[in-house]
Amino acid sequence: MSLTDRIAQGLEAGWDVTDGATLAEDQTHEADVVVIGTGAGGGTTAEILAKSGLSVILVEEGRLYYQKDFKMDELTAYANLYQEGMSRVTRDGAIAILQGRCVGGSTTVNWTSSFRTPDETLTYWSERFGLDNLTPDAMAPWFEGREQRHSMAPWHMDPNVNNDILRQGCEKLGYRWQIIPRNVKGCWNLGYCGVGCPTNAKQGALMTTVPGALDHQARLFHGLRADRLVMNQDRIDHLQAMAMNADGVTPSGVTVTLKARHFVVAASAIGSPGLLLRSDVPDPHGRVGKRSFLHPVNATVAQMPEKVDPYYGAPQSVYSDEFNFKQGVDGPAGFKLEVPPLHPAVSAGVIPGHGQTQVDAMAGLPWTQSVIALLRDGFHPDSPGGTVSLRDDGSPVLDYPISDYLWDGLRQAYLTMAEIQFAAGARKVRLVHLDSEWYRSWAEARVAIETIAMEPHRVRLFTAHQMGGCGMGTDPKGSVVNGFGEHHHVSNLSVHDASIFPTSIGANPQLSVYALAARNSTRLAGKLAG
Amino acid sequence: MNDLPHARSPESGDLDRRSFLKTGMGGALFLGAVSVTAGLSGCATTPAGPREAVDLGPSDGYQFRFLTRDDVQLFHALLPAIIGPALTEQPEDRRQVIGSTIERIDAGISQFGPANQRELRRLFDLLNFGFTRVTIARVWSSWPNVTSAEADAFLERWRTSGIGLFNNGYIALTKISNVAFYGYRDHWHLSGYPGPPQWAIEALPHIKNA
Ligand SMILES: Cc1cc2nc3c(=O)[nH]c(=O)nc-3n(C[C@H](O)[C@H](O)[C@H](O)COP(=O)(O)OP(=O)(O)OC[C@H]3O[C@@H](n4cnc5c(N)ncnc54)[C@H](O)[C@@H]3O)c2cc1C
Repeated sequence: MSLTDRIAQGLEAGWDVTDGATLAEDQTHEADVVVIGTGAGGGTTAEILAKSGLSVILVEEGRLYYQKDFKMDELTAYANLYQEGMSRVTRDGAIAILQGRCVGGSTTVNWTSSFRTPDETLTYWSERFGLDNLTPDAMAPWFEGREQRHSMAPWHMDPNVNNDILRQGCEKLGYRWQIIPRNVKGCWNLGYCGVGCPTNAKQGALMTTVPGALDHQARLFHGLRADRLVMNQDRIDHLQAMAMNADGVTPSGVTVTLKARHFVVAASAIGSPGLLLRSDVPDPHGRVGKRSFLHPVNATVAQMPEKVDPYYGAPQSVYSDEFNFKQGVDGPAGFKLEVPPLHPAVSAGVIPGHGQTQVDAMAGLPWTQSVIALLRDGFHPDSPGGTVSLRDDGSPVLDYPISDYLWDGLRQAYLTMAEIQFAAGARKVRLVHLDSEWYRSWAEARVAIETIAMEPHRVRLFTAHQMGGCGMGTDPKGSVVNGFGEHHHVSNLSVHDASIFPTSIGANPQLSVYALAARNSTRLAGKLAG
Repeated sequence: MNDLPHARSPESGDLDRRSFLKTGMGGALFLGAVSVTAGLSGCATTPAGPREAVDLGPSDGYQFRFLTRDDVQLFHALLPAIIGPALTEQPEDRRQVIGSTIERIDAGISQFGPANQRELRRLFDLLNFGFTRVTIARVWSSWPNVTSAEADAFLERWRTSGIGLFNNGYIALTKISNVAFYGYRDHWHLSGYPGPPQWAIEALPHIKNA
């Protein structure tokens, strides 16, 4: 395999890339289309539009990090590559939010699991939100196209022990499990996806669509934060953006004005509703920022008799959908079961504790296995999601109250995960919960889980899947964009990212974002060319 | 950082813990009130400056960007309880490890951005300001005089409290400390983590030659 870096090469060859931190004076630029955000949605959009001959400017608030920066070190990666230096949380602090802030967005740090949008979800959308042309059949070619573009295929190597324990537990209990498709090419099976792929194997936006767009004369401004879309009558006239200092967090004071015929917002859930709210874009029914979803995640950890080394090997390769849609799409909260990679910093941050307890928990890391449950939110009236609003300083924040409906699902997930770990031979199992002890048997765990407090802050929750907030639908009273990501009220504005999902996906979302962005950009390219 | 509109509300001086607990209001408003009180009563709210200035052992010239002198003392008191027995007893090394962990806590927070920094400022002010340290944290001595056992008891109270705000404070304090400590290469061995595979480092020139 070649170690030649696609980004280094492109920069050498003269890509039009500007680091906002180097700008000394205010300036204005113009293109056919301005795309805000360079992640799953933005990258796809920029490549398709640029290839169709349109001039494109890409705006990214994070910085351009690539192979030379990816050194398998957690502390530097979390500080630089993640939103709010990995400290993003919901408004009350009860749910930790992992999200990318760098060129390639979350796809630069994601764990490469690649699922199509489940049929159940697409069908629900068509019935509930009038999205008739997003049926599984209609979407199939778009999924297929993106699977090829991002080299997605079921993982062909043996799962690492961490994943294999999920498989073993499911097998013993008669639960379904499957191998996860991943978007990698020549993967070394190292296990460092979450801190930026050091071998360029990960086929996220950074290695595929962003270079593809730049090869076709797209211009990239990184370290540039989209601040406001400015309207002139009923169209967006320009984007006002703020250059960031090299620290990536403070604006330098230099502003950049970007004019275009069309604007595509792809700053993701939280970022996109935030931008629309700041811009005061028409929103007659108050829909912007509503119905934000997270796949709230809870976790259990197990001590296994054998070494797990949960920091090595493809982070996710086995999953179970046994409980995802089992009780109907809008029955009790369903969940997808997966495992997380466990490196020391993230483990020390997620597993709550201090002093001797923490010393012991950390000393056991090589034997530690963890299962996570991703709850499907948004499909039931008692799961209305959260709300993005603006803080005093204009930054977006997500308020996400956890309903009893979700607490029930989370308790059920704790039970299932502990059962699976014991079935796979765990010596002891503990919930990632402030009150949890180590449980020595499934019987003991079950009793404890049935009565443990299900409360914010005590249950440690997190998410790497933010969705919604600019939901799509046919009825403008209940949605922000139509089924093509086109804004209901502003004709030269589209949204192409995870914020347009009207519910959560019920599977890791990247392929859903890629496919919808590809479909909607192809249509947009046709319109703008015409 | 203390100039949030609600921090100037008339309730600023009202630190009645009971009514606060009863209303179950979000932490932000309450801590905002503390923050302004602390500011008025003269707690330092400027970053501590160069590491030499805060007596953290041999310095590598690090400049504090967020933590104040008071915050540094706070973590100095808390880290022995948070890191616990993983902290060496050998005085020189111990000082060095505590110092460099506080340094990395500061470096981490400086990437959090203004909004979360404000939340942390409120939390730290609450803990540094004598009146709230006593009423809310129930820590009687000022931090430099707090023993590890007292620090541990405080953390334990906040961990097991039925009040979400205190649980949240517990998580904030322990999380940033644990990440800064266990995530650092010198401490990887404590979690049995051998680091990135040597064969991969050897094969990746951008890491090997770094
Ligand atoms: C640690 C982690 C692991 C994950 N693992 C998986 C996985 O295995 N499989 C999977 O399918 N999904 C995974 N995901 C989720 C997946 O990557 C996201 O769902 C997907 O990337 C979302 O696409 P997006 O285009 O909506 O946003 P993103 O890809 O996040 O891109 C949004 C971009 O917009 C930028 N931005 C935000 N605001 C502004 C602004 N004001 N101005 C300019 N730019 C701005 C951001 O910095 C970011 O780069 C993971 C995510 C994380 C964080």
